[in-house]
Amino acid sequence: MLLQLDPSAIASGVNNVWILTVCFLIFFMQPGFALLESGQVRAKNVGNVLMKNMTDWTLGVLVFFIIGSAVSAIVGALTDPTTPLSIGSAFAYINDPTAYVGWFFGAVFAMTAATIVSGAVAGRMKFSAYVFVVVAMTAIIYPAMPGIAWGGTGLLTGNGFIGQILGTGYLDFAGATVVHMVGGLAGLVGAKMVGPRRGRFDSSGDSTPIPGHSMLLAVLGTLFLAFGWYGFNVGTQATVLAAESGSLAFQGGALGQVVMNTTLGMGAGAVAAMIVSASWQGKPDPLWVANGLLAGLVAVTGAVPHVTWWGGVILGGIAGALVLPTYRWVVDSLKIDDVCGVFVVHGSAGAIGTILIPLFGVTASGGYTFLGVNQLVMQVVGVLVIGTWTVFATIAAFGIADAIFGLRVSEQEEEVGLDESEHGISAYPEFVPNERRDSGVATDGGAGIQTDGGATENTGDQK
Amino acid sequence: MSDISLIISYIRPDKLNEVKAALSEVGAPSLTVSRVSGRGSQPATTNQYRGEEYTVDLHEKVKIECVVADTPVSDVVGAIEASAHTGEPGDGKIFVLPVEEATQIRTGKTGTDAV
Repeated sequence: MLLQLDPSAIASGVNNVWILTVCFLIFFMQPGFALLESGQVRAKNVGNVLMKNMTDWTLGVLVFFIIGSAVSAIVGALTDPTTPLSIGSAFAYINDPTAYVGWFFGAVFAMTAATIVSGAVAGRMKFSAYVFVVVAMTAIIYPAMPGIAWGGTGLLTGNGFIGQILGTGYLDFAGATVVHMVGGLAGLVGAKMVGPRRGRFDSSGDSTPIPGHSMLLAVLGTLFLAFGWYGFNVGTQATVLAAESGSLAFQGGALGQVVMNTTLGMGAGAVAAMIVSASWQGKPDPLWVANGLLAGLVAVTGAVPHVTWWGGVILGGIAGALVLPTYRWVVDSLKIDDVCGVFVVHGSAGAIGTILIPLFGVTASGGYTFLGVNQLVMQVVGVLVIGTWTVFATIAAFGIADAIFGLRVSEQEEEVGLDESEHGISAYPEFVPNERRDSGVATDGGAGIQTDGGATENTGDQK
Repeated sequence: MSDISLIISYIRPDKLNEVKAALSEVGAPSLTVSRVSGRGSQPATTNQYRGEEYTVDLHEKVKIECVVADTPVSDVVGAIEASAHTGEPGDGKIFVLPVEEATQIRTGKTGTDAV
């Protein structure tokens, strides 16, 4: 009976079911980001943060389908001498159902990069300008990066112009830099260009904290993200069953390496942030621990199949330990109001974790090996290329958005909150209206000022 | 006229820090602050919920209670007025009330000593 089955069909079926499953897990990072960002803003801006997060995903998938995914293929071909450029084949997925699972696998990563930005610019950026940035992120800024780094074609792969010189390809397994550093750096640049929230820095330029309105939402969002991250990292090991010469081989070692390093990196990042925050502030701080947990995950995201288990611990630990000092540097030295700390969690953690991969290389049997000087150089070059592209492309996108829409809401709109000024809603309405419309009570403000109170007579000089 | 006065003011929430600074400058740093909602001269705003508009005429304000004995009331009122002022409807109001008696719970002192 078994002999009649086609091993490659079984492998393909199992692997595609696995890919779809992890895509749904990665999609679950979206509510994670929504909660994490909502918790770190004032209550008056919660609806706006939720709008931005929903727009990232919903508008993002449309843009990434119509153009983004093709941009990846085109950029890959343009920067790779071994791959001829074909616009037609770059767009071929649009009418090919057999390509849709692969497209979806790419899309969940793209929307993760896009949704990081909203956390940095929360509380003062115009919604219209933000929508423009989402389109730019999912059409060009992000897609160019998997184009040059992933899939075996593109500038940073072994076949690309830089890869051929160094004789090796850039290692970033699930996107510590391709996805997270792009989002984190774009967020930093965006936060710089939009400017700090009112009151974030006092008249002498010193930082004044604007605490988020819910630690509960922020920490639950972090844990939702960590759950989805298993899809992000372990799912990038997309081959569960390999069909080799007529038989099936379960890729248990490869899957085990990535799930172990993902778990240990997360743990080490959180514990390191706990220790650093306890020694820096005197007491362990849940928000730093949450940030450290995510920074640890980001740091190992590019490294999970490439490094030893203790390499995963070290990478996660370094990123978690650096969360607090790096955030302080961004705020106190750069004077950038990165509301949710997206640069430290996604940007610098991704860069450090990816550059250091060659120092902790793992062999197929779990032993240690140094991956070579050329690999180390390739990692630095890769981070510089991706970082440079992200900074300049983001400056262009925010610059155009500024020219068309303006980046910031007015001072009055910011003060009253973006929920009311940008969306006409309140995320936490305190009083329900007792009548739908004005009933005509005028208070001492004089003619034309109407309220809905329910009293029928003009009571004169009220409070 | 009582020796002790209670000064109640209703101000914009974003003016709280400036008012606190101004009060400590005139020698009345002790205060109690509450988050309140109220209606006055500030125009009602319109919110929407599922396509239906509704009017919100209760605006978020901060209520500050400040009890003084030795500090001149006019200084305190002047400090709040100057620091909470924007010139737009909704800046708030200040009320001064006499206080009959005061007791400090920790020491048991009464009268102006308690303040």
